Amino acid sequence: MFPSPNAVSRRSFLRRGAAIVPALVMAPGVLQGQVSSTVNMEGNYYLPVRPPAKPNPVVQLDEEAVIALERTLACPCPCTLDIYTCRTTDVTCSNSPAIHGDVIRMVNGGYNADEILLELDKVYGQRIMASPAKSGFSLMVWFMPFAALATGALAIALLVRTWRQNAVNATAARVDGGVGRIGVQATDDEMARLQAALRDDTR
Amino acid sequence: MTLVGELSLWVAILMAAWTTTVSWAGGYQRRSDLVFSGERAMYATFAFTMVASIGLWYALFTHDFSLRFVSSYTSRNLPSVYTFSAFWAGQAGSMLFWTLILSGYGALAVLFNRKRLREMMPWVTGTMGLITLFFLLATAFAANPFERLDWVPADGRGLNPQLQNPGMAIHPPMLYFGYVATAVPFAFAIGALITRQLDGEWLAAVRRWSLLSWFFLTIGIVLGMWWAYVELGWSGYWAWDPVENSSLLPWLTGTAFLHSIMIQEKRGMLRKWNVTLVVLTFLLSILGTFITRSGVIESVHAFAQSEVGWWFLGFLIAATILTAMLVSTRLKDMEAKAELESMVSREAAFLYNNLVLVGIAFATLWGTLFPILSEWVQDEKITVGMPFFNSVNTPLGLLLLALTGIGPLIAWRRASTANLKRQFLMPVVMGFVAVAVLMALGMRHFYALVFYGISGFVATTITQEFVKGIGARRRMYQEGLAMASVRLVARNRRRYGGYVVHFGVVVMFAAFAGQFFKKDYAQVELKEGDTYAAVDPWGHTWNFRSEGLSRYNTVNRNVTAISLVVDRDGEPMPPMVAERRQHFDASQNATFEPSTEVAILEMAGQDVYVFFSGMLDADTAILTINFNPLVIWVWIGGIIMAFGGVIVMWPQAERRERGYAAEMAPQHEEVLVGA
Repeated sequence: MFPSPNAVSRRSFLRRGAAIVPALVMAPGVLQGQVSSTVNMEGNYYLPVRPPAKPNPVVQLDEEAVIALERTLACPCPCTLDIYTCRTTDVTCSNSPAIHGDVIRMVNGGYNADEILLELDKVYGQRIMASPAKSGFSLMVWFMPFAALATGALAIALLVRTWRQNAVNATAARVDGGVGRIGVQATDDEMARLQAALRDDTR
Repeated sequence: MTLVGELSLWVAILMAAWTTTVSWAGGYQRRSDLVFSGERAMYATFAFTMVASIGLWYALFTHDFSLRFVSSYTSRNLPSVYTFSAFWAGQAGSMLFWTLILSGYGALAVLFNRKRLREMMPWVTGTMGLITLFFLLATAFAANPFERLDWVPADGRGLNPQLQNPGMAIHPPMLYFGYVATAVPFAFAIGALITRQLDGEWLAAVRRWSLLSWFFLTIGIVLGMWWAYVELGWSGYWAWDPVENSSLLPWLTGTAFLHSIMIQEKRGMLRKWNVTLVVLTFLLSILGTFITRSGVIESVHAFAQSEVGWWFLGFLIAATILTAMLVSTRLKDMEAKAELESMVSREAAFLYNNLVLVGIAFATLWGTLFPILSEWVQDEKITVGMPFFNSVNTPLGLLLLALTGIGPLIAWRRASTANLKRQFLMPVVMGFVAVAVLMALGMRHFYALVFYGISGFVATTITQEFVKGIGARRRMYQEGLAMASVRLVARNRRRYGGYVVHFGVVVMFAAFAGQFFKKDYAQVELKEGDTYAAVDPWGHTWNFRSEGLSRYNTVNRNVTAISLVVDRDGEPMPPMVAERRQHFDASQNATFEPSTEVAILEMAGQDVYVFFSGMLDADTAILTINFNPLVIWVWIGGIIMAFGGVIVMWPQAERRERGYAAEMAPQHEEVLVGA
């Protein structure tokens, strides 16, 4: 008997069952969108940004300013570099030279840096920026590390307070033990005053 | 042989399953026959995984292109060294390689502890067996290097040219040795939690394996930086790429653990935290593997998108939940009557150090995963690139560097004011002197001055510790300077090896600060005889004269090379040759995109970095010329760190250690407490 062309092989079944089911059960849908949107490294990520030139355009950015601007833009390919670095060093990337072309076209069309960023944002969205904005949802990326650090510092402060109290109590307990052994007679009130004095001293 | 290898993979699966089952059963029923059987099965798992690996190497060297893996990553004209390293160049082979190391570590853990930790070892062996089983199953079912094609191609696709680099032949194994070694402390943590034995020998075993992991991760990360620098052509060595970050995460938490474990050893404190760090380090290495292998996050370093990522996600989630459950049932066992006399003590300094290390790890993880989160929450992927990581991690890194210097100056338990004054005086003065000298030389960059000020402070701290230690030995034993230095380190390897590591960190940070002086240089177009003049960050004038282009074939590629005659302020320098390469297969068909080979002139002050960007026409080359200050010190810092790691790891005879501790005790106290 021959298997039907649509039949799932035993190995394939086991493979899917062992890996995908637990992952899907435990992390429902979290990563599905990301996986489907992943494009291979050689893919074309370029989207044309070609607004019309301004009437009687005046060039407002020199070469240095263009480089500075391109330093703030992320190449959409997976190289994780900015547009300037990518276009000057990655000989295989077609995206960054194309985006550079659009930037130059806008510069020659009379656009300033802010206007160019706005035009790019309209087409690519925030992902074109190498650094997340410090507003809206993106603010969270900046805020969280320091919030976590502050929380950690607070936790350490609380812990240390407890541990210092333990140390004080332990010292007092050792003194109690010592007093008992050498047979000094003292009232409870006197012992309490002694321990309080010791606590003050150890602080 | 290839078939034997393939069959061995399946037998290894059975062996790993047996290891887990009988080890845990033996541990639970306290039956030594089952325990021994489990240990032998761990050895057998390693042996069969080794045979499977030899089978794959055999297939690679005999050009068995019926295997998809062999035809995808090698070709007949690939040089032998890269045919060998092609084993870990692709997803499937690297999975088998990972499993080979893992089973090897499992076998070594069993071997080293065959007479120790007898109650705990069955659980350790079983856990190692289970992790190995997972990797073997993932290899066999999701990324099998022995998968066959329906037809046999005449030649293979060849190896990606960027992987044909000596750094790439060594860097992945080093990283794997480091990543995989995190599994052993994890297994010991599981064993200790189950048997409720979280002190004594457990600590020693976990520390040893954590050190090994740290050592290999350090070498692997630095080699990865070097590879990126010499191969990718963007004249940097760290781009905060998700895959780079993935290797840094377990390194950071592992480093935190190696510091915090000292508090448990000395004071019996931080048991819960130490177990958490061990577990976290392992889980982060699995998370890193998921990131690298799933294709979920795009990276130039990542393997192609693969089903194997889902396996790792499932494993990560299962391991996290099960470990959390186990830890929650043992919280009472890990409670200790912790005491801390002062916020200004060595213990407290270690706490701050841990806070900063874990803080950097969190910031790095957060930035790496935020694009996924943003796409999930608001359906728009936000890029979190270098500016974010540099802005957040630079101040934290500086804080960490400062703590590196502060920690050794503070006594355990409580430091007196007089002690602090005495200990801190010289390092603080030297830190300010460094800043003053640099400002007098014209440096004005705020961050750079902070970097060098703190570096001066830490370097002086380390020097001061050595000077005091050597002085004490010379007084006590009338030894010469060299003998006292050698014996000081040899008889307290952990402490002084640690200082050597810290010195490596200082050198690296000083080198990182060189990036503040880097300038952008425009691309230049050079024909034969043309000269380009540029002024470097140190004020020297460089001339680059093109000697023209040469074209030739070699081994498996066609090369177009540009030779440059170079001089600095008129003084001749070594010639530089940058290349563009087009690789081809045995039939002379082009394979892969054109690649480049950077020309680098390495000097103490800076690297001259020439990248062959492209051709304007048949005779005109387009070059990007950069001056990268102090880069060579990054590699030297890495070597010093690794050397320090070797000193720390080097076994020390227990008898000698005890004797030394006794003889050095008064001096040691003097140094620490400042009496």
